[in-house]
Formats: sequence, C-alpha cells, structure tokens
Amino acid sequence: MSAIVVEGLTKRFGDFPAVNDVSFEVPDGQLVAVLGPNGAGKTTTLEMLEGFLAPTSGTVRVLGTDPHRGDRRWRSRIGLVLQSTSLDAALTVRDTLTVFAGLYPAPRSIGEVLELVDLVDDAETAVGALSGGQRRRVDVAIGIIGRPEVLFLDEPTTGLDPEARRRAWTAVENLTTTGTTVVLTTHYIDEADHLANRLILLAAGRVVADTTPEGLRSRGGPATVRCRLDDEAALADLPASLAGHIDGDSHALVVRAEDITSPLRDLLGWADRHHLDLAGLEVGPPSLEDAYLAAIAEPLTSTGALP
Amino acid sequence: MTGTVASTTARMPRVGRLLAAQVSYQSRLLASGRAITIGVGFPVILLIASQAPHTRTSAIDIASYACFGLTLTAWNTYGVRLVAARESGVLKRWRATPLPHWCYFLGRILATVVVAVGAGAATVAAGVLLYGTHLTVSGVAAALAAFILGALAWAATATALTAAVPTVEAASPTFLLTYFPVIIVSGILGDTSEPHWLSTIANYLPARPLSHAVGSALGHTAGNALLSPRDLIVLAAWAVAGLAVAIATFRWEPHRPTQQRSSRREVSNDLPHSKAAAVPPSSRG
Repeated sequence: MSAIVVEGLTKRFGDFPAVNDVSFEVPDGQLVAVLGPNGAGKTTTLEMLEGFLAPTSGTVRVLGTDPHRGDRRWRSRIGLVLQSTSLDAALTVRDTLTVFAGLYPAPRSIGEVLELVDLVDDAETAVGALSGGQRRRVDVAIGIIGRPEVLFLDEPTTGLDPEARRRAWTAVENLTTTGTTVVLTTHYIDEADHLANRLILLAAGRVVADTTPEGLRSRGGPATVRCRLDDEAALADLPASLAGHIDGDSHALVVRAEDITSPLRDLLGWADRHHLDLAGLEVGPPSLEDAYLAAIAEPLTSTGALP
Repeated sequence: MTGTVASTTARMPRVGRLLAAQVSYQSRLLASGRAITIGVGFPVILLIASQAPHTRTSAIDIASYACFGLTLTAWNTYGVRLVAARESGVLKRWRATPLPHWCYFLGRILATVVVAVGAGAATVAAGVLLYGTHLTVSGVAAALAAFILGALAWAATATALTAAVPTVEAASPTFLLTYFPVIIVSGILGDTSEPHWLSTIANYLPARPLSHAVGSALGHTAGNALLSPRDLIVLAAWAVAGLAVAIATFRWEPHRPTQQRSSRREVSNDLPHSKAAAVPPSSRG
C-alpha cells in the first residue's frame, strides 16, 4: 500500500505555477528525498502534503486522506519537522516533549525519543539555551513523539555543522527501522545520498527525475579521472591526450570519458617516466552532484533561466 | 508498520484534558520575569509614586493601578508575544499537531486571563499591604469577577488585533499606540480633563468600565451595588466582539511579504550548501 499518492498536483500563486502537474507515490516505509534548487516547488509540495496549502488542481492522499481535510486522528498519524526551528524557548527539553506527547493517543516515551535524537544529556536544559543543532533535534523529537506513520522533514539539517548533521542523520536512520515513511526535502546532495533509497528531483515545479541515488548517478555522464599536477617541468611533457584537460590556474587534471582506460594509462606512464607520486589521484563514477546538476539543468534552460 | 495499530485504535486524548494542559503550558510561558515586572512591578511602583506620604489610599486608586497591570499583561504582553509566536513559526508548529485549533486558541486566551488576573490581584494585595486599605470578602469576589471579564475582553480584542500586525517589529508600537491613549482618556493613570464627547467614548472602551467595576467592588459600601450592570455589559460586549473578529481573522502562518513572481526563473550565483549545484533564489523551496 502507498502511504502517499500524488496525482497531477498543481499549485499556482497568481499566474506563477509553483508546482506544476506533479505525480508520484510513496510506498509504506520508504525514505524519499525531494531535491531541487530554491524555488523548485519542494516546500510548496510538502505544504500540500501536510495540509497547510490546498492544491489549485490535482489530488493528494496521505494515509488515504486528503490532507487539507485531515482530522485529529489523521494529524496524530503524521509527524512534521518544519523548515525553521519553532519552539518556545522557556521550557526544558523534557517539559516541551511532555507537553507535545500529551497530544497523541499512543506517544513514544520521553526517554525513547531522547535516545533516538541523542538528547538524553540535555533533557533538563531549557530549549533557549541549546545550540542550533540541538534545537533542530528537539524539532525532530517533537516530529516523532507521536509515533507517526508518515514523517515530513523539511530541510532538517540546514545550518547545522557537520557533526550535528551526522547526529540528525542517525536519528532519521533510527526511525526508518521502525517502518516510518519519511519524506525529506534537502539541499544537501550527500544527505539525500546517505539517507534516501529514492530521489525525486523537482525543478521549475515539475518532477524531472524519480529514481534511486545509483540510478541518478548513472545518468550523470562519463567516469572521471582527477589529479593535481604541480611539477611544471613534467607538465611540459604531458601527453597530448591529457594536456587539454588541465586547468591552468589550479593545475588540476580532470578527464571525463566513457572509457577512462586510455587516459589513465597515459597518466600513469607519464608519472612513471618523471618519477612522480600521484597520491591525490581520484578515479571514479560521476558524482551524484554532477548528475543532479545535469538533471535540473534542462528544465531551467528550457524556461529561459540559464544562458 | 510499527505503531500503526496503536495510533489508529488508541483513544485520542480528551479535549478537556488537552485544554487544561494548554492553559497550564501557556501560563508558564506567559508568567515570565519580564511579564511579572510589567504586570505587577510597574503598577505598584506607580501606585507608590502617586501617593502622598501618610495618606490613606482609596480602593479606587488601587483598582486603577491593578487594572493598569492587568490590561498591560492582557493587551501588550500577550499581544506582542502572540505575534512573535506566529512570526517565528510556533503557531504553525502547533497547527500541525492533533490539538484542536480552538483548543490552542482558547488555551492561550484563558492562560492570559489567569496571568493577567494574577497581576491585577497582586497589585491589589500590594496596595492593601502598603496602605492598609480595608476590603470586604464580597468586594474582593466581585472585583475578581470583573478582573476575569475584563482580562477576557482585553485578551480577546488583542487576539483580533494580531491579524492586522504583520511583523514582530510592528507589534510593540501597534499595541502600545492602541493602549496608552485608551488608558489615559479612561482616567486609569489619573483624572484627565478631556472633552465631554471623548469622555463618553471612554465609557464604552474596555478600560474605564473595568476600572469602575473593580473600584466599585473593592470600595463597596452597604446599600450600593457591588457591580454596575452597564460596566459588565460593555466588557462582555468587547469580549464577544473580540473573539468573533479573532476567530474570523486569526492567522496561524507567518506573514509572507507580497512579491511579484514571474514564470521566468532567476539564476543565482551562490553555491549550494554542499559542493556545487547553482540554484536559483526564491522564497519558496
């Protein structure tokens, strides 16, 4: 069964189509990342799934219900982490979670939630005294305390330092083991790659890709050889097959090719002749980021945005 | 799916319990040190400053300053905080929960009534302790009823006004500019010599009837009515009208500046948060 069904979803603000004929389904228990540049329609789509906005046309069903008409029972089955932290600062973490837990029919225990979001040591700290990362985890804690079947995470790690992001990721990963369906919007490609088993790319209000991280990566073009070359004397003797791929300022060699065997052989032979250490050599598939950029580039260009 | 059975079959919490919890929660948030300073400390200081040494302070004076503290809390403190909560997304956060919307709304107003009445009562207690003003039990009970009705009228009207306040920056000036003129022409901070027509208007604003009701209750003498029906009717009318307008116009979402959107997308030069990906800017993701 699908936890979320979206068909022909469109939302216009005046003449502006923020979301334009978007359709997808999310099966129970899946963690889906919705990616896209600012203005792609991610938050607008999410707000229609959450029931905050009514679509201009199309249909949305979350747990079989139109979110705009969701009742208390439906709300109790949904968890939300909004784009910005929105907490009353005066109470402690434990008191805040206790207040929110009282709204749900079968909430998780406070201790369980504190464990899930790694805030056990801060339970008695006032929310206003927490760091940005810790507050964000309180947001996540409130989102999951009602034992939601569907959890919406709207850019949950924006503004967090790398360590705080990793901790938030762990909290989300812990949730997926409980069977919760998670819809995550994010600007971080590596976050989507790490957490999601499915990616929906939005650009200019439309779905431009609906695939797995591996599937998107495979659409990113040829494999890549990267290496920084600093030996000026040796560079003068660089094989012609490589010389055209050097960045003049950074001295970085970047070769993209369907078959990297030949340029790699030329590079290794050249390094061997000049007794150079290629310690920084990188050989790999196209990055997810490259694939993402390629995927969103077409709709932006077609609407006249890119030169 | 883990938790599905529990969340679809378990009984939803009773709304009475939710409302009580909400009143308690909101009261704790509202009764901060700053709110107590404004709602109790400020009126008591003014009460002391306005009295000549060794004079016997009348119940009317105490009632006026108690009403000043009560209305400051129910109007200014509450109204500004409500706008701040809306603009910071706190209201949207609550709207996303299974708490009935009316329950949050009413809980917040009732919590304000509790804290504002507490502020007014504390000022009365301070006046009695400082000046030995004699009060009767029936007078205190009637004053408490007037306090509750007055706090409800002011909080309900403040809730209605929040819909017209677009930002946190605009909240303080708006609430203060709509507050002090009413308080001054109503004679709460001392007698004024306003024109007759202005005095007539003040009789139908919520400050003078509240002050008059509390003053007549605290200064009650045998043979006189504890409370004037006219005062109570004016306060009740403000409470009902304020609630009606608030219900019709209340906004849960932060204010979004009006913007001209075109279908032509802008291109940003900024990089995404990770490694690359040029993204066009927009207020909506």
